[in-house]
Amino acid sequence: MTRFLLRRLLLALPALLGLLVLTFVLLRVVPSDPSTALAGENATPEQIAAIRKAYGFDQPLWRQFVVYVGQVLTGDFGNSIFTEQPVLGDITRRLPATVELVLAALLFATGVGIPLGVLAAVYYNSSFDHAVRIVTVGGLAIAPFWFAIILQLVFAMDLDWLPLRGRIPVGMPPPPTVTGLYLIDSLVAGRFDLLTTAARHMLLPAFTLSLGSLASITRFTRAGMLETLQKDFVAYEKAAGYPERRVIWVYVLRNSLVATTTQIGLLFGALIAGAVAVETIYDWPGIGSYAVQAILTSDYKAILAVTLVVGVIYAAVNIAVDIVHALLDPRVAEQL
Amino acid sequence: MPSRRSLLINSTALAATMVSRISWAHGQTRTHELNWSEGPPNILDPHVIFDGPMVFYMLNTYDTLYRYEGNPPKIVPWLASSYTASPDGLTWTFKLRQGAKFQDGSEIVAEDVVYSFQRLVALNRGPAAVFKPILDSVSVGEDRYTVQFKLKVPYAPFLSTVPIVAIVNPRVIAPNVKNDDWGAAWLSANSAGSGPYRLDPATYRPMEAIDFHRFKEHFAGWGHNANPVELVRNRYILETTTRVSALMRGDIDAIDHYLPVDQLDRIGRTAGLRVTNDETMRVFVITMHNGRAPFDNVHYRRALSYAFNYKGFIDGILKKGAVRNPGPIPQNLWGSPADLKGYEFNLEKAKAELEKARAAGAPVDREIEIHTQNQQAQTTQAAQVFQSDLRKIGIKLKVVPNLWPPLAAATTKPETSPDMWLHWVSAYFVDPENWIGQMYDSAFHGTWKGSAWYKNAEVDGLLREARRELDAERRKGLYEKASRIVVDEAADIWIYNTIQMRGLSKRIQGFAFSPIGGGSEFRLLSLT
Amino acid sequence: MLIVRKFLRDVAAVLGFVIICVVIGIAIFGPFLLPHPDLVFDSDILRRFEPPSAEFWFGTDNLGRDIFSRVIIGTRGALMVALTVVAIAIAIGVPLGIYAGYTTGWPAEVIMRVTDVFLAVPQLILALAIAQLAGRGLGSAMAALALTYWPFFCRTVYAETRRLRHTVFIEALQGLGASKTRILFVHVLPNVASPIIVRATVGMGFTILTTALLGFLGVGATPPNPDWGLAIAESREYLPDVWWAATFPGLAILITVLGFNLFGDGLRDLIDPKLRRSRS
Repeated sequence: MTRFLLRRLLLALPALLGLLVLTFVLLRVVPSDPSTALAGENATPEQIAAIRKAYGFDQPLWRQFVVYVGQVLTGDFGNSIFTEQPVLGDITRRLPATVELVLAALLFATGVGIPLGVLAAVYYNSSFDHAVRIVTVGGLAIAPFWFAIILQLVFAMDLDWLPLRGRIPVGMPPPPTVTGLYLIDSLVAGRFDLLTTAARHMLLPAFTLSLGSLASITRFTRAGMLETLQKDFVAYEKAAGYPERRVIWVYVLRNSLVATTTQIGLLFGALIAGAVAVETIYDWPGIGSYAVQAILTSDYKAILAVTLVVGVIYAAVNIAVDIVHALLDPRVAEQL
Repeated sequence: MPSRRSLLINSTALAATMVSRISWAHGQTRTHELNWSEGPPNILDPHVIFDGPMVFYMLNTYDTLYRYEGNPPKIVPWLASSYTASPDGLTWTFKLRQGAKFQDGSEIVAEDVVYSFQRLVALNRGPAAVFKPILDSVSVGEDRYTVQFKLKVPYAPFLSTVPIVAIVNPRVIAPNVKNDDWGAAWLSANSAGSGPYRLDPATYRPMEAIDFHRFKEHFAGWGHNANPVELVRNRYILETTTRVSALMRGDIDAIDHYLPVDQLDRIGRTAGLRVTNDETMRVFVITMHNGRAPFDNVHYRRALSYAFNYKGFIDGILKKGAVRNPGPIPQNLWGSPADLKGYEFNLEKAKAELEKARAAGAPVDREIEIHTQNQQAQTTQAAQVFQSDLRKIGIKLKVVPNLWPPLAAATTKPETSPDMWLHWVSAYFVDPENWIGQMYDSAFHGTWKGSAWYKNAEVDGLLREARRELDAERRKGLYEKASRIVVDEAADIWIYNTIQMRGLSKRIQGFAFSPIGGGSEFRLLSLT
Repeated sequence: MLIVRKFLRDVAAVLGFVIICVVIGIAIFGPFLLPHPDLVFDSDILRRFEPPSAEFWFGTDNLGRDIFSRVIIGTRGALMVALTVVAIAIAIGVPLGIYAGYTTGWPAEVIMRVTDVFLAVPQLILALAIAQLAGRGLGSAMAALALTYWPFFCRTVYAETRRLRHTVFIEALQGLGASKTRILFVHVLPNVASPIIVRATVGMGFTILTTALLGFLGVGATPPNPDWGLAIAESREYLPDVWWAATFPGLAILITVLGFNLFGDGLRDLIDPKLRRSRS
């Protein structure tokens, strides 16, 4: 197991280094010169030249890259070109909001998706199965940014049932920071009023974000269940007189979930990407909306940092998933 | 069982929600807290950037020697009580008000003003551009309340530019200087001013949240306002629809003024809200690259000037949320000739001019480009309206979405400067120099304002003379003459002067508009 | 034609197929059947924001253009973009995947490591960065999508080829002295075709979605392109009063992508041996 773990970690390294090279080359080969953005609206060409020099934009690319890698390894992502504040600070402050949103979406997607998948497999080829399929495939077909707009339009603006934007209302102090996740922090602080407020704010964004994952999880659970249902032990257990409900929801489901677990790891990446659209519409202060802001302002340091941080999280989640997978199914560990 | 439990949870949740709604509603009626939503400056150091958002921030946290008030804006003494200029226009002396205090309690004296101007020039960022070419020295005068500026060249608009420079507190900055940076890293997220509101650095989130607390000892006093706001929370909401809806729901009390008119209708229809309507000084312009064919042909430029549907755009799309501005200087400022006609939308005349350009050998069939600013929907709309009208006279226009930073970079060189681009020229300081002076004097080639690459020796001469001339009446004549020439030569396509319309809660009292800062001055406001 | 009969039994997949056919039909013939061909690109300022009516089925937008006509024209654009992106991604990903899967040695290793790099970040994040930095416009958005999508094909094909390489059938061919090119193109390629087709079908839908998102964020199609994502972005400032301007382009995306996804899903069921077993 230790060997598996080490190998798995080692495998992730070249990919991350490659990512560093890729993003850096991409971002620095660009024609748009960040010096001008830095200098401000009324800057003269001399001022721009001075800034170019001060920030090292006049150095050869490879040297800028070496400097950058050194900084990244020491945890220094540099200052935002746009706000001149440390990018790392911006990201660490905003990350919990995205994590909370993604976790909520994932929780919803698994909580609903697994039962849906099981039922679809049990009533295989029935009209229920077809309906689930059309709905879930529809979930993957819906543009999250559009759906976010529509839901906001209906439930926040028109019906006025749910909050419009943000994590909590303007002027309401957030719970004392423990994890940075408002739902958990307000529980820790015993603030149930904050808990419900934060939960209400989270409802629309988390639901919008979960749709794609809900569809994937349902489909994978269905496929896994169908496969397991064919296996001999199912027939045996049924024959041995176990209650059918128990056979399906306990034995079969447990055996089918291996595939679903792997899928959840991959979904994490899709969810973070989806957060870009959803956070923008709901004014959710996470790294998705931060990425959009960075793109709008050509803030190359912030774009680099977001790409890297998301890459590292993505790699970490997938390593974690592989470990869980290996624990569930020891054959996986041997293959690597 | 499970269903009953979840029912229980639901009903407690519902009760808690109701409680929180009620307590929240109470919070809303507190009269000393104001929730504002306006784009903040991306960096808080007033010597590093100078743009619209910075003016908003500076107006509340910093003071200047003189400042603008009212509409039309008048320059009034502020930290200074008076000034004198030598007849040659080279020496300017300012007398400071005595007893004015910074937010740390220390008194504002001449040395602090000297430090502020030196810091500005040493940092040499955005706002220094105006002063770098003209400022020779700044020093303490005969006493600790006198500041003396020596200029390299006579510069008539000097007084008008003084409100650009925030007076900062060197005693607060000194402990935070690193690597000779004049404390720029620190001041980018902190404040060192004397203004009526104090930044709370602990809750500051760049581009998201700024909290302002009232500074009770502000030198101007609070006698004008019996019930000032103690805490202002500025929360920037990027999405227009979301921002407007937040205002309509009462989550925030006031929003910025860059809104489509259609959204303002929504605000106007909402009980408890109002929409302000004030003519400002912000000229919307399509800049043409006069140095590149076919734009180097005056008939071609006139053809384009006749092909923009000014009235349709202003009346139809902006629903009269703007005033036609026929020349480069805002038509409500002196220097813009009162009888200036400019161009009207007339495709027949456009075709005739186009034929003249063709006869002169201009490559009129070339596809031309117009660059828009992606975040400003209006630039895209104007470009598309222009595009469909130009098609009718046989000109192919390509719309290229762009952003401010790359555009500002591209306009530094004639080769990279776009054929045409859409932008506003705001009142950085209130003097024709800010518009026509910096847009059409060839000395400003290489700045974004000078990106028309217009070169006319007569205009250069007029503008430079106006810069030296201290007599107001003569300056006015010079600028009017220059205006007529650039309009006749169709150097650019000037579209309108902006009317600022801002959504406000009716709870807000004391709102007073000025083109500088747009009325975002918390000092004057109170809540009912 | 057992496979066709089997496919026809799959209601959802048939629905998907029908949607795709209709959408392709609209893309080909739609431009000739426009109710307002002059109001696709040209603005009519006096007719801004007319709600849906008998004259303007989907209403008009902020420049007075007919949204129905624009959605129709946008269909062609969306399909062309998705087709191009997927084709480029296949053209890059499939040969590399087959080569890396069939051979050993450093070039194969390099290909797969590069693939790993691309797969180490969510595609959208990478595509956003590339599209933004390559200069805004549909061209760079398409390049960014193709550049970040080929690794998925490479991965799929690599895995299939690896599996095939050790089958008796290929080993027999090698024993017979067949050339490498011949084995790869005549024998391996047809065998990896099914997963490619499935991925390409789903990829069409996925690419339409991602292109729309890029257009929405302002790094994709540029005005006056009737791109669906761009149309939503352009109309979002006028919500909620002008609900129709954002609703119909969004529905167009939904229906088109749904068609590709349902069809792709059905194909996968037909082709995936695991599921086929469970179906018998």
